[in-house]
Amino acid sequence: MTGKKLLLKALKDRRVKFIFGYTGGAIMPVFDEMEKMENFAFVMSRHEQGAAFMAQGISRASLSTQNPQVGVCMSTSGPGAMNLVTGIADAHMDSVPMIAVTGQVATGVIATDAFQESDVVGVMMPICKQTYMPLQAEEMEKTIHEAFYVATTGRGGPVVIDVPKDVQNELVGDDYAFDPETCRPHLPGYYYSPTPEREPLNRAIDMINKSERPVIFCGHGVINSNAGDLLRKFAEKVNIPVAFTFHGISAMPADHPLSLGMMGMHGTVEANKAIMESDLLISFGMRFDDRVTGKLDEYAANADVIHVEIDPSEIDKNVRTSVAINADVYRTLHVLVGDPMVSYKPRRRWLEKIAAFREIMAEDLKEEIEQGTGEDGRLLMKTIIHQLSNLTGGRDLIVSDVGQHQMMAARFYNYQTQNSWFGSGGAGTMGCSLPMAIGVKLARPNERVWSISGDGGFQMNAQELGTIMEHNIDLKIIILNNGYLGMVRQWQTFFFDGRYAGTPMRSPDFMFLAQAYGIPYRKVEKLQDVEPALQEAMECKGAIVLEFVCDPAEVILPMVPAGCGFDEMMVKHPNKKK
Amino acid sequence: MKRRAILAFTLDHPGVLNKISMLIRKKMYNVDTLTVCRSRIPGVSRMTITLEENDEAKIIHIIKQLEKFTEVISAKELDTEHSYWREVAIVKLEVDAAHLDEFHGRYNFQILEQKSEDVHILQLAGSTRSIDAFLDEIGQEHIIEIARTGVTALEK
Ligand SMILES: Cc1ncc(C[n+]2csc(CCOP(=O)(O)OP(=O)(O)O)c2C)c(N)n1
Ligand SMILES: [Mg+2]
Repeated sequence: MTGKKLLLKALKDRRVKFIFGYTGGAIMPVFDEMEKMENFAFVMSRHEQGAAFMAQGISRASLSTQNPQVGVCMSTSGPGAMNLVTGIADAHMDSVPMIAVTGQVATGVIATDAFQESDVVGVMMPICKQTYMPLQAEEMEKTIHEAFYVATTGRGGPVVIDVPKDVQNELVGDDYAFDPETCRPHLPGYYYSPTPEREPLNRAIDMINKSERPVIFCGHGVINSNAGDLLRKFAEKVNIPVAFTFHGISAMPADHPLSLGMMGMHGTVEANKAIMESDLLISFGMRFDDRVTGKLDEYAANADVIHVEIDPSEIDKNVRTSVAINADVYRTLHVLVGDPMVSYKPRRRWLEKIAAFREIMAEDLKEEIEQGTGEDGRLLMKTIIHQLSNLTGGRDLIVSDVGQHQMMAARFYNYQTQNSWFGSGGAGTMGCSLPMAIGVKLARPNERVWSISGDGGFQMNAQELGTIMEHNIDLKIIILNNGYLGMVRQWQTFFFDGRYAGTPMRSPDFMFLAQAYGIPYRKVEKLQDVEPALQEAMECKGAIVLEFVCDPAEVILPMVPAGCGFDEMMVKHPNKKK
Repeated sequence: MKRRAILAFTLDHPGVLNKISMLIRKKMYNVDTLTVCRSRIPGVSRMTITLEENDEAKIIHIIKQLEKFTEVISAKELDTEHSYWREVAIVKLEVDAAHLDEFHGRYNFQILEQKSEDVHILQLAGSTRSIDAFLDEIGQEHIIEIARTGVTALEK
């Protein structure tokens, strides 16, 4: 057996089906070996960054299914590996398990600035959960299995395995033996505590029972531990409203009576106001990042914090906790849901107050969505997302890019399916949507998948239309084209006196682009055409590109300006009278 | 600024020191001293890092992030009350033997070599403060070269 064979055997033993990647000198032996095997579906991306996001899509989408898979991407050394960097850093920020295999120059020439040599371990170390460089074929299987173990346990994350070319080709000795069933990684420094301890739980329960104005926080950890149903049961059991982080969205139905929607910078008024007035935040699987909290000194000043989180280094990092439960979210919720000590309260006054918060923007938003167009008659993103939501019953899978359209998709799609909302949160990487949607579709082939991008982000990975074409990926691709890097433009409107520096953008004719890849295309400019176009996309077989011509002046509100407290939340456009 | 010592037991793997120093850089600290040695357990290194920080919470957070590394088995802060902090200095200095005699008994040092009538190489061991005090008292102008190990620490 050779190193390359053992590498692929280990991937096979880990039940990997899809490998996303791009070949090149230093990884050719592995690709060659893969060609001889039948158990992998190889998907060639058009850029290594695309491969990393496709692998992310597999991991993100499949973790809530019967068959959770870890996305795998593969590249050559040097430029190939460097092109993976953004996708790996992004997975790290969003705690997405993923395996990246990079070819490396042969051990004999490492550190001589050999052709296409980059210090991959050095570059990747701070942006991934763990790095490996097996130096002998004997280490290969052990390394790959350990990598999967590290990537998927505790708080998930990407793991990079840099494999020198000579190690790929090296033969193991005759006495080589390895049993994937019985192998246990020896990692004395790696532990995570999935089971909640009783003592802090009791204190938490006591606080929950005594609280008058509590809010439950649903973070990515709820999705990652597949605990959406349990969270809903818990919320209903204690009758406490739920606010969602960006990645907590879709853990339970968005229109549940206890749902407050998203929290934070572009969160709903009701979520942010409830947090400001709360006396207890019960947070599950999240990390209180600055987009969630705004100015920390002013954040939820009167609230105690119960923090359930699998990563102990997140506890007390940004927000001081009263009760820390370092445990798996699913297991903790399981205990809370079953514990008779946890009691129901009518909380009439609190819920009435929240109902009043809901009214603050409801009328304005409803009016805007019904209006459907801006001052010059161009379409509003809100309305398009709203109609998409109605037509699909909120049951489809949405993969968003980064920008205004992303916040619209987070806010105005009525998510009904658990784990149906995907995108780049922590890193906010433009261009993620198209490739990530490919992974999502491959992981959940029986569900309809929409990739929603802005004109800017779409062009960052538009080359992956080639992958969609080649593999007949059935993606419904929406470009919300406002002719600007809209989210930055919004900041310029609010905080830079409307000087649009580096944000107006001319785009190609997307019709020709779609046609070049043999993908059907529709352009939608009028409100009455929105629904039929979406309908057509839903019904057609295979990929389609829908371009909507959107109003550049549309803004996403409310907005808590960066570095401000929730008190400074803007609910109205500062330059508009109405 | 308060001086802090962090003790970490780590796997003796390549790249571990890199990871730890990168974390400290990322958190924008300047490492005062860093010493690494073998521990009693084969394959496990013992690392003592000192840096300056007043905020307790920040130190706790560094320790938590250190512990997050797969290769870090455990990490904790050692304070001066409950642990010994010591370092070793090797000093080459130009001073009369008679003058050096005055220091005997008051400082813990050993003459490794007398190079000439007035050039000596000494080895000093003790707290950072006692080494500093010795050097001050003898006079910086007498010192030709000095090598210090940085702090290593052990709990009482
Ligand atoms: C790779 C990358 N570069 C820059 C940014 C900064 N950025 C955030 S949103 C945004 C504008 C996105 O424009 P577009 O894709 O057209 O979406 P819109 O906001 O107009 O809906 C920019 C430039 C980013 N998030 N990612
Ligand atoms: Mg745009």
